[in-house]
Amino acid sequence: MIVAHELVKEFKIPERRPGLAGSLATLFTRRHRVVRAVDGVSFEIPAGSRTAYIGANGAGKSTTIKMLTGITTPTAGYCRVRGIEPYRHRQRNARSIGVVFGQRSQLWWDLSVPDSFRILRRIYDIPDPVYRRNLALYRDLLDIDALGTTPVRQLSLGQRMRAEIAASLLHDPAVVFWDEPTIGLDMVLKEAVRELVNHAHRELGTTVVLTSHDIADIAAICDSALVVDRGRVVHQGSIQDLLRSADRRAVLFDHRDPIAPDAACAIVEQGLPGVRATVVDGGRVHVDYPATEFTSRRVLAFLLERFDLADCYAPEPDLEDVLRQIYGQRRDAALREVDAA
Amino acid sequence: MSAWSTAARYARLSWFLGGVGLHRLTAYRLDFLLGAGAFLVRVGVQTAVVGLVFRQVPVVGGWSYHEVVFLLGFSLLPRGLDHLFTDQLWELSRKLVQRGEFYRHLVRPVSPLFSLLSERFLHPDGFGELIVGAALVGWSGSHLDLDLTATQWALAPLFVLCGALIHSAVKLLFASLSFWTVTSLPAMYAANQVSEFTSYPLDIYHPTLRALLTWVLPFAFTSYVPCTYLLTGDTGLVVWLPVVTAGAVALALAVWRRGLTIHDTTGS
Amino acid sequence: MKPPTMRAVRAYLPFATGGLQSLLQYRSMFVITGMTAAAGAAVTVFLWRAVYADTPADGGPGGFTLTGITTYLLVAQVLQVLHTNRVDDEVAAEVYRGDVAVMLVRPVSYPLVRFFASLPVVAANAVLVAVPVLVLFALLVPLTVPRPGDVALFALSTVFSVLIAFCVNLLTGMTGFVTTNTWGVRMVKQSVVAFFAGQLVPIALMPQPLAALARWLPFRGMVDGPLTLLLGRYDGAAGALQVLVQQVGWVLGLGAVCAVLWRAALGRLEVLGG
Repeated sequence: MIVAHELVKEFKIPERRPGLAGSLATLFTRRHRVVRAVDGVSFEIPAGSRTAYIGANGAGKSTTIKMLTGITTPTAGYCRVRGIEPYRHRQRNARSIGVVFGQRSQLWWDLSVPDSFRILRRIYDIPDPVYRRNLALYRDLLDIDALGTTPVRQLSLGQRMRAEIAASLLHDPAVVFWDEPTIGLDMVLKEAVRELVNHAHRELGTTVVLTSHDIADIAAICDSALVVDRGRVVHQGSIQDLLRSADRRAVLFDHRDPIAPDAACAIVEQGLPGVRATVVDGGRVHVDYPATEFTSRRVLAFLLERFDLADCYAPEPDLEDVLRQIYGQRRDAALREVDAA
Repeated sequence: MSAWSTAARYARLSWFLGGVGLHRLTAYRLDFLLGAGAFLVRVGVQTAVVGLVFRQVPVVGGWSYHEVVFLLGFSLLPRGLDHLFTDQLWELSRKLVQRGEFYRHLVRPVSPLFSLLSERFLHPDGFGELIVGAALVGWSGSHLDLDLTATQWALAPLFVLCGALIHSAVKLLFASLSFWTVTSLPAMYAANQVSEFTSYPLDIYHPTLRALLTWVLPFAFTSYVPCTYLLTGDTGLVVWLPVVTAGAVALALAVWRRGLTIHDTTGS
Repeated sequence: MKPPTMRAVRAYLPFATGGLQSLLQYRSMFVITGMTAAAGAAVTVFLWRAVYADTPADGGPGGFTLTGITTYLLVAQVLQVLHTNRVDDEVAAEVYRGDVAVMLVRPVSYPLVRFFASLPVVAANAVLVAVPVLVLFALLVPLTVPRPGDVALFALSTVFSVLIAFCVNLLTGMTGFVTTNTWGVRMVKQSVVAFFAGQLVPIALMPQPLAALARWLPFRGMVDGPLTLLLGRYDGAAGALQVLVQQVGWVLGLGAVCAVLWRAALGRLEVLGG
């Protein structure tokens, strides 16, 4: 479906000099520095999946999306979307993909949303039944009609995002690429987007590729994660599996024992060596334990035995912590290789 | 897709976008009227200045009052026609590359240039220029007892079209410089200021300026050259018009294409 | 200067230096102003030089010689550069964005803030645009050398012309309270001011009714007034004084109009809730 093979993208950033003379000089000089934004990335994304494309900051996520959408050409390697190299057949590829680029609007800035949609319908040659069906769907889910005749530039961010997402799905694309859509702002919108994606996925088998910093957005939209670090896939699978790979877990509890909060922490740390216990707001105790040494069964059994528990829950591991841990391990491994050599 | 069906598709899209543009015109009637009114005042002042000039002397640089008004009006026609379709190039020059907004034109299944221009089809100010220009040409033409030959009648619309293409080409070239310099507004503005010289007969200018306007930034071919031919039948320079137009358009498109590849390698 | 005045000036000085800092980030603005001025000067200068090409040495229409009319039109363009203080676009933009409401909570007067912020713009335009344009044309065409006394009068008169331009631009920017298309309003202002100030055609060359109208409008004090003094086209000390008095009158009058309209606009703003 989507294949990247040893994908490399280097940018030549011209050494810009200030002032008019300087900018004229950049026209004629060849001085620039090379920045490698994507460094030998390989992966495959199966058809019909909803994948969060995750990488460390500056891992070239947006640049990779730009290559997959045909906006830029790789410096080396290749990528294919549905069998074609997007940058070689940009317009052909554009017909079968939908794109949202976060803060940057894809819509006609001076036109109303309905007018923008009418133009998109012509540009993508959307058949009448498809267009009508999708408009009806957006009317129900995104309340597009409420945007009325206001020009896109005057819409609020939430309203605009609604229109952007609808526009990216209007022509029933086989793949949608959402690069940092700022849907995290609005719970209602998030729910609507999830519904929309599920619908497209169910009815048309649409493949979704999302990059986001917002873990909640990722969790809401995606079922699988593709984690890339230094060009290598370090995790590909469900988001649950990714979270399960966390090496530290946590339990929070309230108790009715007549002891000081600090004393409760001391009891936990003495009874389970290697565990960190801290008091959080309201006297609640936060227990943080390494998943490699303790099972959750053992931790919970200990707590049940020693405390008169009033409340107890185990939060999901923080995705960012998990990622930090993955990148950290790889960095350590890399350092060991250097030492061994 | 064959060349013909591609051309037909773009023609259909343009027709449709024209409809959207006209629709918007009615939606923003007041803005349109204010813009058109302001334009009318501007051209009115320009015409008044010409009138006051000719209160002092009967002939300026070999041109009579009505001839100069004819030239002034005619110069608005290609400018207005160009204005209708390519106003969005100012946005490219001003900020699209700088703010990284250009690549929305690279994800649509149409040519990036068409996508860019589609954002503002049928700019209302263009209509103002065309209407005022046509009125001035008609008024001065009737005072001059202008009797055009059949050939001149047939060529006149082509002159306007070629003039508009020259305006568009110069704009495209200077707007494309922004792919290298991030913003090229000063350069584009400068070129636009130079085009203002064409509202008056070139004969009054310094020969260097005249040469610049004829062969470097060929704005002379948008009004002075065709007007000389229409008013006097002198074919001296007008035969160069198709060549200059084709050359300007080809050069601008080449710079634009080169700019796209630069955009690809710099990432902006 | 009395102490209270000193204190007042000190309160507004930061706006002047702040204006200069933000200005230096917009170098392209100077290029644009410079190109406009150079091209504008070239068109009018060439046009009128064609008219005066064959006039006798003792002067043609309106008593201008070829060098006299050239000097007039060129310096007119230079004055126009000094009047480009960006007050109209910035006030209009701040009214449009609602930023003016923020200014109301500060213990300063917004028109005065704008005035001080415009001073460095005028100064920078004078140094970076007006002088180069003047030098460029002085190399290309012969110009009249004015008498030293007339230069002094001209300098004083130019200060008043800058003040009138500030008021006119402030009023133009304030139309943002009533319309969103301030672009059109500014274009109308630009054309009307350029014409009636005598920047495109000296008022002496206008037909009688038009010239009378132009003499009674405030715009005359922006270009034609200072140039009357520079080129010594006035009638003795009384004539020169008349030009200056008229300018001062318009500065005070327009200043009062600005103050009154600004108060009215603020009342409207408070009613609308900004």
